[in-house]
Amino acid sequence: MTLDPWMIAIIEPLVKSLVVIIALLTLFAYLTLMERIVIAKIQSRIGPNRVGRVGPLALLQPIADAVKMIMKEDFIPAQADKLAYILAPAIAVGTALLAWAVIPLNPPVTIGDYTIHFQIADINVAVLYLLAIGSLSVYGIVLGGWGSNNKYSLLGGLRSTAQMVSYEISLGLSLVGVLMISQTLSLTKIVEQQSGWWFVIFQPVAFIIYFICMLAETNRLPFDLPEAETELVAGYQTEYSSLKFALFYMAEYIHMLTVSAIAATMFLGGYQGPFGILPGVHWLFIKIMFFIFLFMWIRGTLPRFRYDQLMRFGWKFLLPLSLANVFVTAVVLVWLGK
Amino acid sequence: MAVNAPPAETKPLSANDPQTIAEQIKTKFPDALESASAQGIVIKRDHLLEVARHLRESLTFDYLNNVTSVDFPDRFEVVYHVSSIDRGGAPLTLKVNAARENPVVPSLVPVYRGADFQEREVYDMMGIRFDGHPYLRRILMWDGFEGYPLRKDYHEPYFEDEKKPFGTRWDQGHHVIAEDRNPWHDNVQYPANFDAVAFKAQIDTVREQTLPDVSPTRLKTEKMILNIGPQHPSTHGVLRLKTTLDGETIVGVEPVLGYLHRNHEKIGERNTYLGNIPFTDRLDYFTSMNNNHAYVIGVEKLMGLRVPERAEYIRVIMAELTRVISHMALMGFMYNDLGAFYTPLIYALEERELVLDMFEAASGSRMMCNYMRFGGVARDLPDGFLDKAKHLVEERFPRVLDELETYLTGNEIFLARTKGVGVISREDAINYSTAGPVLRGSGAKYDVRRAEPYSIYDRFDFDIPVGTAGDVRDRFLMRLWEARQSLRILKQALKDIPAGEIMTGKKNYQIRVPKGEVYGRGENPKGELGFYIVSDGTPNPYRYHIRAPSFINLTALDRMSKGYKVADLIIILGSHDVVMGEVDR
Repeated sequence: MTLDPWMIAIIEPLVKSLVVIIALLTLFAYLTLMERIVIAKIQSRIGPNRVGRVGPLALLQPIADAVKMIMKEDFIPAQADKLAYILAPAIAVGTALLAWAVIPLNPPVTIGDYTIHFQIADINVAVLYLLAIGSLSVYGIVLGGWGSNNKYSLLGGLRSTAQMVSYEISLGLSLVGVLMISQTLSLTKIVEQQSGWWFVIFQPVAFIIYFICMLAETNRLPFDLPEAETELVAGYQTEYSSLKFALFYMAEYIHMLTVSAIAATMFLGGYQGPFGILPGVHWLFIKIMFFIFLFMWIRGTLPRFRYDQLMRFGWKFLLPLSLANVFVTAVVLVWLGK
Repeated sequence: MAVNAPPAETKPLSANDPQTIAEQIKTKFPDALESASAQGIVIKRDHLLEVARHLRESLTFDYLNNVTSVDFPDRFEVVYHVSSIDRGGAPLTLKVNAARENPVVPSLVPVYRGADFQEREVYDMMGIRFDGHPYLRRILMWDGFEGYPLRKDYHEPYFEDEKKPFGTRWDQGHHVIAEDRNPWHDNVQYPANFDAVAFKAQIDTVREQTLPDVSPTRLKTEKMILNIGPQHPSTHGVLRLKTTLDGETIVGVEPVLGYLHRNHEKIGERNTYLGNIPFTDRLDYFTSMNNNHAYVIGVEKLMGLRVPERAEYIRVIMAELTRVISHMALMGFMYNDLGAFYTPLIYALEERELVLDMFEAASGSRMMCNYMRFGGVARDLPDGFLDKAKHLVEERFPRVLDELETYLTGNEIFLARTKGVGVISREDAINYSTAGPVLRGSGAKYDVRRAEPYSIYDRFDFDIPVGTAGDVRDRFLMRLWEARQSLRILKQALKDIPAGEIMTGKKNYQIRVPKGEVYGRGENPKGELGFYIVSDGTPNPYRYHIRAPSFINLTALDRMSKGYKVADLIIILGSHDVVMGEVDR
């Protein structure tokens, strides 16, 4: 049976999207388990080891957690702005998922005369798209903070905006260094160019800046100011319960995966193995997991910044540094005659 | 490390001798004195303020330890204990009489800011008005409460008897609980004509706040009131902080207390002396051994009991072990307040478990030890206790403290968050009557163990560390340094502990306490824990007041946190190490 090209053009992205979303949601579930275990080990505790135990791992724990979360009362505060309140978690998850549309997962595979690209959409401005989607994700938090009509939530939302303006520019500029070397905005081409040397070797400073901004973008320690438990109870999540709360949670973890995937793609060669060894999706997975582990390690060890300190750090340190990085890169490129 | 050498010889106690002071006051204010005795100086009401000012400014009594009141049949007596930070020694007792009808006494807040909460407590509990107090209203009871619970004529709902043991509880061989007789009512008594709907708590009206000059040119913004607590992850219990915010900048903080209030003092006056020991465990539930210690010291002073050597050593060992684990755990808690995800705390609590195991072996209980008795301790140490303690003190704890220092004190984020935050100057720390690490973190070298050595602390060689900046970081480091000093004491105590009796005389359930009054105090990990006890010779104390360090330290919270951010408030509060069991009593 042969399909018309236009049918393939519809079915293929649908299938790809479905696979990616299912994979991400499964990964999210097991990331929560991984986080609990990693942090337990850091704190010399045992961690979850009861539900569906296989060896030392409680493999059904995420499902138990999910069931518990779903069974909770879905509560909407009387004073809440209902539209914003309900929309916020959806935006948070949606924007976190959207970024995956442009990330190349595997080198293209050719079966017969048909080439499958393991990427939902290979658009030529993929990096811009990523930055745009990343900025949108803050709306989930701001709307949630505003819609809840709670002072803690409001402060959490405010902090989130303040935080975003202070790291987003550095985040963008740290990617500019890579773009200047690669001379393209297409992620596929960026990954292909890294089959030999990864860009992290040419752009170490940009990589470090991106990593710091990554922590801020995902609201993880030491920059988890919008949900700072000790002072704001749960920040923008305070008034959320049941599945809406779970959605925020899901958004946070998928966002972690997303920014890790971007870091792996832009700096660590995406699906490329080191020195061209066996390229494939497994490399991308390993690299993402490396970042995820760093996230968890940092969460287990560091205390939190104050929000004005993050802003000062963003404006007075990260921004000049990333500008300097762009400048130095430009000078070197001109000097090399590229 | 800012550990200073041990203080020079404490000056002879005569500097604080009431008779000498009374003479000095008499020459300055000829008609201010009513009487003077070893029990204290009774001052005429109208002259209290000027005498207090004179004491503070000319005679260097710069520290107000304690304010309380006693309800005598013919009068109220307000009792002040003042002392000198540099001179140390036993505190000087000042007293003022107030009439039974409409009692009014001038407020000492203009002289000692530390009187603020304590006078409010006296007003709340005894109904004595303080003239000139800036904010005189109830502090522990709710605003609509009727009556003054510590007055002798106040009877709570289900009142049974003035003194324990209650006759009704053992009626014809059956145990009867008063509430069982009337199960369909709350254990609450509302004022007559109380209308719950129309009632508006005074607390919901804002205490006047003034803006500090954060920035001269500002947008017009509205202040916001944020209630932090009573249910909040990091208020260390049911503490409510009514915080006025300008954006995220703190304009004012008003601690709202009493959510855990159980009128410990009234219970204490009903109880027998011995029956109070387990109640003191519940004050600061982290440090029950120290609470026991301060209480038995007070009563022993009144009885003139001598404690056997071995018992003194056991007490010191227990108290110092408690101090080590309390300080370690606090370092973990402060990291929690900074936003660390429990990791330092869990490592600290692991050490605490080891000590709790030893407490369990010695006293039978892990937290509520109820271990000390008048004239000794309840039981001798079990076999192997000293070896285990030696292992912990000499090998494990020094290593753990070094680890905590390595990993916790140098962290960049920690320094950024704590340096220069929550600063309180030495003068303010003294004037606000803060105690313990909060006071010493500001550079005031005042530790009851040295200022008025109790038990056998004068035998040990240890230093009193002091901070320099008076910020959160210094208060954090104080805990580390003090834990190290405690280990020094423990090493000496474990080496020297003699064999022998652990109790003077035979065990006695009904001790005979002579008439008199005493202010017994000890250095708790949180600060000076004092017990003011008035005995009328009966088996129950006539007045039983507790100077709770956490409670009085909170007086300075507003002063410390003005102008900082919400996030700082949490860590400033954390550096106080409040325990609500003690704050609300």
